[in-house]
Amino acid sequence: MSVASFFSDSIAVAENEFRQFRRNRSAILISLVVLPLFFTVSLGAGQGGAGSTFSPTAHIPIAWVDNDNSLASIRLWETLATSPDFRNLIEGYTEQGAIAQLGTKRIYAVIVVPKGFQNDLENGNQATLILYTDDSEPGVSDQIQATLTSYTQNFDPNVEVQAHLSQIQRESVAGVGIVSKGATFAGFDIGLTIVIAIVQIFAGFYEIAGGISREREDGTYARLLVSPIPIGSIMLGKTLFDTVLTVIRTFTVLAISIYGYGARPNTDLFTLLALSLIVSFVTMGLGFVVAALKMGQRAVVIIEFFLILFLFAFSGLIIDSNLLVGFSQAISNALPFSYAFDALRRTVLLGRPLLSLTFDLEYLIGSVIVLYALAFILLHFSRERLIT
Amino acid sequence: MPEHAIVTDALTKNFGHFTAVDELNVGVKKGELFGLLGPNGAGKTTTVRMLCTLIEPSRGTANVVGYDIRERAAEVRRQIGVVSDGVSLYKDLTIEENLRLLSTLYEIPRPRAEARIRELMEMFAFREKATRLVGALSTGWAKKAMICAALLHEPQVLFLDEVTSGLDPQSAIALQDFTKKQCEQGVTVIWTTHYMYEPEKICDRVGIMFAGRLVRVGTPNELKHSVSEFSMVEAETPGLSQGQLEKLKANLKQLENVYQVRYKDPKLEVSCERTETLAEEVANALLAVGAKIRSMNTKDPTLEEAFIALTGGEEEIDRFLESAEQKK
Repeated sequence: MSVASFFSDSIAVAENEFRQFRRNRSAILISLVVLPLFFTVSLGAGQGGAGSTFSPTAHIPIAWVDNDNSLASIRLWETLATSPDFRNLIEGYTEQGAIAQLGTKRIYAVIVVPKGFQNDLENGNQATLILYTDDSEPGVSDQIQATLTSYTQNFDPNVEVQAHLSQIQRESVAGVGIVSKGATFAGFDIGLTIVIAIVQIFAGFYEIAGGISREREDGTYARLLVSPIPIGSIMLGKTLFDTVLTVIRTFTVLAISIYGYGARPNTDLFTLLALSLIVSFVTMGLGFVVAALKMGQRAVVIIEFFLILFLFAFSGLIIDSNLLVGFSQAISNALPFSYAFDALRRTVLLGRPLLSLTFDLEYLIGSVIVLYALAFILLHFSRERLIT
Repeated sequence: MPEHAIVTDALTKNFGHFTAVDELNVGVKKGELFGLLGPNGAGKTTTVRMLCTLIEPSRGTANVVGYDIRERAAEVRRQIGVVSDGVSLYKDLTIEENLRLLSTLYEIPRPRAEARIRELMEMFAFREKATRLVGALSTGWAKKAMICAALLHEPQVLFLDEVTSGLDPQSAIALQDFTKKQCEQGVTVIWTTHYMYEPEKICDRVGIMFAGRLVRVGTPNELKHSVSEFSMVEAETPGLSQGQLEKLKANLKQLENVYQVRYKDPKLEVSCERTETLAEEVANALLAVGAKIRSMNTKDPTLEEAFIALTGGEEEIDRFLESAEQKK
């Protein structure tokens, strides 16, 4: 078996997959349209409703304490109160009274305009706004600070926002490193990091594990096995096919997220595509392993649902993995998908360059290699089980 | 090129405690049409799957066109074609697309592959069906498509496993004729079936398998007469009186080669050793007692009778089938 025939076999398998896929309307619809659309729209709607005007800070109750009572402070209040991002600004609190309310869930932040605000602006000095926040809901403080900063910069570049977590909240989160997620990201950016991975996991897993299971049940897998094609070529061919679908799905999710929900990923397209592909390769590796265990198509669907639930629980998708303890933390640390979500957040939200995420990338690429090697060994040694 | 296309050496397959094939030793000559005959569960398909390298033997080995199935599986796969229930074509592809995929896997150069595909399409008269999806073809055409796929790379050995099951009689006969022609062209064919009449009709030699063991191998004639040297003359002769019958029996018993005479109106059965003049002698005896002869024929033992005798009788077969059913 030469290298050339290994690759020509792989390409033949990939072409074969495409031919079948092209003729299967429901597969096209589900894989390329329904899944990306369903997850993006449902998460978009879950984060505050459809439409590009969605703002995560719009309905958060925030106290407004104006200690300067000047023309400048009133203009700033008007700017914020009439904006789509601060629709729930509450007046009438004293500074101490408002701060005391943090942590009670009545208000989540206090914006204080200190005395001398207007004077500082008129004299060309740096004017300060003080922001107290309650960070009991992860990420909310950062979102409020980021949005407020963008408005004050537009209002006057000399205005600086000083953010403080309230003392109570600082104590309550002591020992837990909260990742600063919200420096500059827009409303649906967190959603994007979830959707881009979940869609690949959901579709890729079924395409590989379900695909081989179907071939096994139809007898076409045995057809391949009585020909001289090596197992590696079958795996590579199916991977090539699913890689193309991954790219299409990534573009679909990005388009809906950016144009439908106003996401502004803080990274470039190459990084997003690369991470999306790595997530997909990990999933495909897992799919091959499951396929080698002689699962029927029904079993594959059930396993897929468990996999997704598992990811929701342990990969930091919903619950910050830093908040997990004991056994849960160990599972989270072992799951390659935890590192995928972490990498997506660090790039999409914080704008970190892909190559700076050395550990995440090493763990993910290592997982791809381990899963593919394991799948190859299992498929090789379970030839007999898969056709009897 | 070895004289034998296939040689097995104590080929054995166990599934847990169940022995599906037990120490199979057989040699199949190049260009031979070899039948493997046995009831469901006898081990025919398992044997074929081992020889096709789909499953690995538990013990023993086999040589297919000079390659050991354990050591040189990839080479074996290049030299064989398989048609079996568990080995199918892609239903969402046309027959031509399926064949093109396989031509790449068998490394057939594109122009040669296209010519071979055209040749096979013409040979099986696919015409407009060549561009139809395999899933939309009838059972007969789908089976033909699978045979095309098995023949595409011009294999030296063709495994046809229960290939006529589900086929209409015309297609089955056409397939039998086609297979014979393949053998004449030097292809070795292993034809497995549980239909007793098929190997009798087409196979050069037949191996009778039962409960995982190869019970006997021989030409259909050798097998039939290995269990009985007797033939049967049957005559339809209605309304024989008691007197006529006794006289007839006495006359027939005088013949040296007659073994048993039975009469149940209108059927007379005369068991006897095979001789060329027997039918004539029985006819003369009947006419001598004034009997009317409506029809008359000579019956040799069938392969089915040989199979039953070689596998321990009908009760033994019933017991085996019951236990096979329970194992399922």
